[in-house]
Amino acid sequence: MTKQTIPNTKPIIGKIIAKEKECEGTYTFLIELPIKEAKALPGQFIMLWVPGVDEFPIGIAGFEGNVLEIGVAKMGLGSEAMNNKKIGDLVGIRGFYGKSFKAPEDVNHLLIGGGFGMTPLKLLTTTLLNREKKQNIHIFEGARTKDKLMYLDWFQNLHNDNKLTFHVCTDDGSYGYKGFPTVDLEKFLQENDTPSVLYVAGPEKMMKVIFNIGKKYPNVADMQMSLADRYMRCGFGACSYCAVDPTGWRICVDGPIFNKEQLEQISDFGTYKRLESGEKLRI
Amino acid sequence: MNMETKVGTLTLRNPMILASGILGTTFSTLQRIYEAGVGAVVTKSIGPRRRNGNPNPSVFALQEIKSIIHSIGLANPGYDIFKTDIEKLIEKGVPTIVSIFGENKDEYIEVLNGIKDLPIQAFEINLSNSITDEDGSSAEIDPVKVADIISSLRKETKIPLWAKFSPNVSDIVEVASAAIKGGCDAIVAINTIKAMVIDIQTKMPILGGKRGGLAGAAIKPIGIRYVYDLYESFGDKVPIIGVGGILKGEDIIEYLLAGATAIELGTSLGVAYPENMIRFFQMKVKKYMDEQKYSSITEITGGAHK
Repeated sequence: MTKQTIPNTKPIIGKIIAKEKECEGTYTFLIELPIKEAKALPGQFIMLWVPGVDEFPIGIAGFEGNVLEIGVAKMGLGSEAMNNKKIGDLVGIRGFYGKSFKAPEDVNHLLIGGGFGMTPLKLLTTTLLNREKKQNIHIFEGARTKDKLMYLDWFQNLHNDNKLTFHVCTDDGSYGYKGFPTVDLEKFLQENDTPSVLYVAGPEKMMKVIFNIGKKYPNVADMQMSLADRYMRCGFGACSYCAVDPTGWRICVDGPIFNKEQLEQISDFGTYKRLESGEKLRI
Repeated sequence: MNMETKVGTLTLRNPMILASGILGTTFSTLQRIYEAGVGAVVTKSIGPRRRNGNPNPSVFALQEIKSIIHSIGLANPGYDIFKTDIEKLIEKGVPTIVSIFGENKDEYIEVLNGIKDLPIQAFEINLSNSITDEDGSSAEIDPVKVADIISSLRKETKIPLWAKFSPNVSDIVEVASAAIKGGCDAIVAINTIKAMVIDIQTKMPILGGKRGGLAGAAIKPIGIRYVYDLYESFGDKVPIIGVGGILKGEDIIEYLLAGATAIELGTSLGVAYPENMIRFFQMKVKKYMDEQKYSSITEITGGAHK
């Protein structure tokens, strides 16, 4: 069986102990789990079981003590049912699954995301902030409008405390600058010669655009992107319903975080996704 | 040491075959497993048209019994779309066995005819998961239906036909005999066993499809028994492919001793590093052959029938 931080099991039942509206259509949940020894790494995901409805992969935003933090955006039946859950309700958790972001020392950490892609980036930020040596962290977040910016206050407060630099933008200019995260990202890469690592999570088309931008700059030491936003069944490498061509890598165990060299080899990246039938569909 | 084995007229570089339903969604995972060292691969079961299968959870592990339960519900894109994956496998030189299913005889024939022009190594006929039109039970429980499906497929192709059975049949020898009479070239045993898991806190069946099939270590002794029974009845006349709960090299030996000429690996390869598992299997089998002074793997088959 695969090595996991929690042994690979049937769903472990957790209780919702907090629920807060994070931004439009998105809720943060704190779920108390009957386990203590596990450690969540940034970029890993869980399979979230909403009993009687669905089970789907979702990024881990935090895990402390035995309390798991996730952010759920309304995407389908399962996430909608989850967002209708109340404090005290029970849900199932499998995981923690997958490979994590690997952040080196002595680089600029550029975290770029949109939508609920911000979830794993939140845990990555926490991990970087907990390092002994102060890290140079830049967050690039974009959304259509202010109401759709995830963890806006959390990142803005860290920015105000000089813990990191928050580059925030919206399509309509309702918060931050008007435009896409790529504008400030390119500006940063043009102005800074020191090595940077890009960590990206969000819609795959956006990630592909960022990937192509990153390739232009020799100061980009690596790019690590999360493909966790894909259809999955087992989560531990058995079913291959999340596999990408032509490498035969499974998002759930060979990813969901892939580095620049790997992304280069995945022809499906940004072009094809897989449906629950196993059939591929152009993104 | 000769690891080569034969299933009927088909020669395999070693007796390990990737079982249907594991890592079989796309050509690239199948190719990856072949390159890691198995003798052949079986695709996931392909039907006449797209099926989305059951809602999640559709696969999860039962750690305490080293097993998995699943209810994918035959999710597949349909043979016309999956054909391009088969073509890519053939192009890469991967010995490919295509698993097919249907809801009735005509659907089996339709799928077989849709694929038979490709130079595949064999068809594996999934008789366990098929739902016959009248009563909702699988074709495999009825020897008359089994013989009818296999003989109808036999008329359509010369490509080897492997008939796969689960233990959810009353008498495997009887249904296997029917398949042999119908003209099949090998018997594959066993498919998963009907199973279910209920969560006692939410008081809900966990699988989205509620009912599922059990695979993994828990079903190995059952698989061994069925292969032993089949070998006792058919001996060397019809090759038997053993499958069910092979998680270590010793389990391969056990299936061969029971009477299998080849074995299929499922649960054990559904892990983060399937390549390592295949290496461990090879090492263990070779070590056993060395200790027991076998020069060819085919000498082990049926060794427990004394």
